[in-house]
Amino acid sequence: MSFEDSPGSTDSTGVFDADVDWAKVKAMAVFLIPGLSLFAIFSVGPMAYSAVGSFFSWDAFDIAQFVGLDNWIETLTDPLVLNVDNLLSFTFPMGALPQNLLWMVIHVPVSTLLGLGLALLFADLRGRRILRSLVFVGFTTPTVVIGLILLFIYDPDAGLFNAALAAVGLDGMTRNWLQEPQLAIYALIAGGIWVQTGFSMLLYSSALAAIDPSLLESARVDGAGPFRRFRDIIWPLIKPVTAVVVIMGMIWVLRIFAIVYAAGGPSGGPNHVFSVLGLEVYRAAFEVPVEYGKAMTIALIELILAAPMAWYIADME
Amino acid sequence: MRDDDTATDGAGKTADREYIRSPPERAPTVEYDLSTRVGNALPTPARAAKYAVAIALALLWILPFIGLLMASFRPLSEILAGWWHLGEITVTLENYQKALEFQTTPMDRAMLNTFIVTLPSVLVVTLLGAMAAYPFARFDFPLKKTLFFLIIMVMAAPPELVAMGNYNTLRSTGLFDTYLGLILVHIGWGMGWVVLFLRNYLLGIPEELEEAARIDGASRYQIFRTIILPLSAPALVSVAVIQFTWVWNAFFFPLVFLRSSDLYVAPQVLPLMKGRLQIDWGLVAAGSVMTMLVPVLLFAFLQRYYKRGMVAAVAD
Repeated sequence: MSFEDSPGSTDSTGVFDADVDWAKVKAMAVFLIPGLSLFAIFSVGPMAYSAVGSFFSWDAFDIAQFVGLDNWIETLTDPLVLNVDNLLSFTFPMGALPQNLLWMVIHVPVSTLLGLGLALLFADLRGRRILRSLVFVGFTTPTVVIGLILLFIYDPDAGLFNAALAAVGLDGMTRNWLQEPQLAIYALIAGGIWVQTGFSMLLYSSALAAIDPSLLESARVDGAGPFRRFRDIIWPLIKPVTAVVVIMGMIWVLRIFAIVYAAGGPSGGPNHVFSVLGLEVYRAAFEVPVEYGKAMTIALIELILAAPMAWYIADME
Repeated sequence: MRDDDTATDGAGKTADREYIRSPPERAPTVEYDLSTRVGNALPTPARAAKYAVAIALALLWILPFIGLLMASFRPLSEILAGWWHLGEITVTLENYQKALEFQTTPMDRAMLNTFIVTLPSVLVVTLLGAMAAYPFARFDFPLKKTLFFLIIMVMAAPPELVAMGNYNTLRSTGLFDTYLGLILVHIGWGMGWVVLFLRNYLLGIPEELEEAARIDGASRYQIFRTIILPLSAPALVSVAVIQFTWVWNAFFFPLVFLRSSDLYVAPQVLPLMKGRLQIDWGLVAAGSVMTMLVPVLLFAFLQRYYKRGMVAAVAD
């Protein structure tokens, strides 16, 4: 019996050598194959399928001929994806790609800072577990429900938001927020921030809890005020978490689907004013007329935007 | 998470220090009067204000859920007048009744469907993921680097990217519009992060136990069953809880892969409850509360695992 189990003792070509530990090879196959084959069939395979398919024309659901970059050109010039005229005048609908990116630009910094603020606020309070859970609970809720709640909050009759505006004397501002072409997306972004803040607060809280309290105590004794303590001690220690929070937030925004679908249907609001990339993929692939090539291209654009961030996280290990 | 409070009763501590410097002959006669003691026990005004802000913000954060809950128990006329008006409250179960009789898919049926899809998706991905994570953590094998790369890619990819391929696969195998088809898609989609997460956890378990077992003649399967699985129990629970929440809450995959209304899962039914003209908020709210109750209760009872998993899954 051989003991070549420790990492590094068998090089990667070892399986092809004559003195192979066949029992070990068999065991590894038994462990790896069931899980990895499902992973290959239902995740990696379809990804490769989309990558290849984006260069082909499609006859509904069947692949037809190689067309080079046609799908890509067609997709990037489709006003539903990128409406250059409206983008230049910053008028909605600007297309799903700029709208998705706008969402990201607002959503990620705000939810990160709010999460950090709440984590710092709750850090030394009694009952902080309960406070944190109350803020976090939205993140465990189905995103469809989040979308419906937003629809409910912004409703002109039954909505809390308009009532709150009226209560503070801003009667003139009340409107059906999700039907306002130029404002609707901001109303939804606010909802996304509401949910994501719980997540960033949770990550920051655990990073703060890991800071040695004696460090802060000795800084206090040395006369460092709260701001100095934050800048010189807390911030350097929670910086890596910030990278994770920011990147996870960006991936979350790129994947947004159910919130927008629930609040505005598959079209993404009136005249697609808050459509996002996910909705465009869905409509292209599963609503008539079926445009598989376009759907694959849009989904690949999402991946291209997300992949560098995932790599950054993987590199941090 | 640390749970000690460092900022309590500062006054008491300085008093103690005085006594230590000059040991008393007899018990101290100076007693704090009642108002001083109460004053010391209460937080300072600044701290009280901090509590007030913290509690107000936390309540603001769940206010939308309170509204949803209130709406689910009140008749439509009262919801349209504003659920926050507490003058005249009629508590009714009518909305839940309607949700349970919803014509497209009754909510009880939809909840059952969601369980049927979620339970196997979670159990299988946890078991197969643990099995695959073991060689990832302990051995070298060909293509390991490539597999890592693929796992990271899938974790970054949007679910829409795999929808077209899976649609055609399920169509051609006759698994389209079946529970099994959706379950397989969920397993394949979750496998990547589960393997990566459990592999990271296993790297933290010392290898000595396994080596000792090897010397005693245990097979690799026995080691996996009797050492690896029990030792990684906390991580397995974290994986199961997070995966359960993900699959239960999933909307896109069921929307694409389930087309018969008697198979619809709960999140899929909710947008249909909006109806065409006036939205029946009571019905929508009742259905939403029923759907979110499961993941929220799971979070409430298994918070520890959920939070630990969330933090580890992304922080590692």
